[in-house]
Amino acid sequence: MNEITTNGRRSATPAVRAEALVKHYTSRGETVEAVRGVDLRVEAGEVFGFLGPNGAGKSTTVRMLTTLLSITSGTAIVAGADVATEADEVRRRIGVALQEAGLDPRQTGRELLHLQARLFGLSAHDAAERTEALLALVELEDAADRSIKGYSGGMKRRLDLATALVHAPEVLFLDEPTTGLDPASRLTIWDEVRRINERGTTVFLTTQYLEEADQLCDRLAIIDDGRIVREGTPAGLKAELRERLGLASDPTLDDVFLDATGRTRDRVAGDVQEVSA
Amino acid sequence: MTDALLLGRRALREGLRTPDAMLPTLFIPLFFLVVNVGQAAKIFPGKTTDFLHGQGYGAFQLPSSLLLAASFGTAALFLVEEIEGGYFDKLRATPIPRSAIVLGRLVAEAAKGVLIATALVVVGLIFGISIASGVLGFVLLIALTASWAVVFAGFMQLIALKTRSAAATNSGSLIFFPLLFLTPNFVPRHLLTRPMEVAASFNPVTYVMEGMRSLILQDLVWSAILKGFAVVAVAGALMLFLNVRMINRYD
Repeated sequence: MNEITTNGRRSATPAVRAEALVKHYTSRGETVEAVRGVDLRVEAGEVFGFLGPNGAGKSTTVRMLTTLLSITSGTAIVAGADVATEADEVRRRIGVALQEAGLDPRQTGRELLHLQARLFGLSAHDAAERTEALLALVELEDAADRSIKGYSGGMKRRLDLATALVHAPEVLFLDEPTTGLDPASRLTIWDEVRRINERGTTVFLTTQYLEEADQLCDRLAIIDDGRIVREGTPAGLKAELRERLGLASDPTLDDVFLDATGRTRDRVAGDVQEVSA
Repeated sequence: MTDALLLGRRALREGLRTPDAMLPTLFIPLFFLVVNVGQAAKIFPGKTTDFLHGQGYGAFQLPSSLLLAASFGTAALFLVEEIEGGYFDKLRATPIPRSAIVLGRLVAEAAKGVLIATALVVVGLIFGISIASGVLGFVLLIALTASWAVVFAGFMQLIALKTRSAAATNSGSLIFFPLLFLTPNFVPRHLLTRPMEVAASFNPVTYVMEGMRSLILQDLVWSAILKGFAVVAVAGALMLFLNVRMINRYD
């Protein structure tokens, strides 16, 4: 049981509640257990971080919560609607920016946002107004009429973020929103996530960057091998590790992550080897 | 339906912005028309060949080129690109019926089919082919070609949704070649060898081709025209059913 408790922000209707969430799929005749019983509770208005090594089940969990992947067993309620039985209602209430910036490279930024707004039921007039507001929010007004194909990685991420916001969602799912971005673009995305959250949107953020989680998240969970292995606030998790191991100084979130996933710095260094000329 | 039209407009823009993908659908059928006429026109002179109804061999060959133009399936390749790039998931995460995603592409395919078929027939008219069934026949010819383009694109979409692979989708489009050549492609069905005639009779594309051919060479021969449209309607209904089922079960 991996119920995540809240930190003084528990409300009657959580933004995300998952119980015993399981995903199995078949690959080359073998059953793969990608998610093995995840329990989550994310309160409305918080930035929730979902961390884990590659292949731990982060993206699979997010895809289930956003109706993009069927659930093998368990239940998930997102923004008050059941993911399995009220998928359309969930889609109306959430915004999704997945790992790959999901954009149509042959459209312009303005066309893409306008289309997205229309698909969420806005009239042509309202969609045009919303498009302008979002272009301003993500500072893409100057590039609005250029083909997306020519956008930089950071611009694509910002546009992707904007497309997830056209209908002012209650819950915003961001799956590794800064992967592959340069430091300046990453900071810009962080600022935008904070701004979005300040306006009342709950943010469910998956990331592999622990500094990102430390900077942005009110609470976080670490998933490994399809199971939640740690949960709490960044400060609380660090304090727990310091106390448990009797450390002289505060550990970092990296230390918490390594401890939670059973990895060591040596092993991680061995997993990813830098290649130099 | 509004969602499908919105997505159709987007897919049409996409097509117009990638002329390098559109132009082969016009030039390759024209190339085959010129080559086939060049190879066989002397064997079948218009004045003495009954099945040409007084026209040149180009008129007999035009339906093959129209069918080829309508059977490129580039829309399915755009769909695979979208699946790989993540935009497909972005669309699936919107509250529109998922069927609108595949229907949108088919709407665009219909528009592109009308455009390309009209261009090919106009080129044929310039080079002396006439549409014996008149203005109504011209409209029916374009409609039959565009409808076939939608059906073929829909089946290619199925391969794209199932395999999520550009290579597999590309290979899938090759299925059209046996379908096109197991038809009365060069001569009418009754002049084919017996085994070829049997094979052509079992091939639904034969009836689409014969419907098109009748519109070009003869006055309105409803028996042939209706058979062509019936094949498109049945194949289209099957294609729509499978597409909707596939995208609703897409995981």
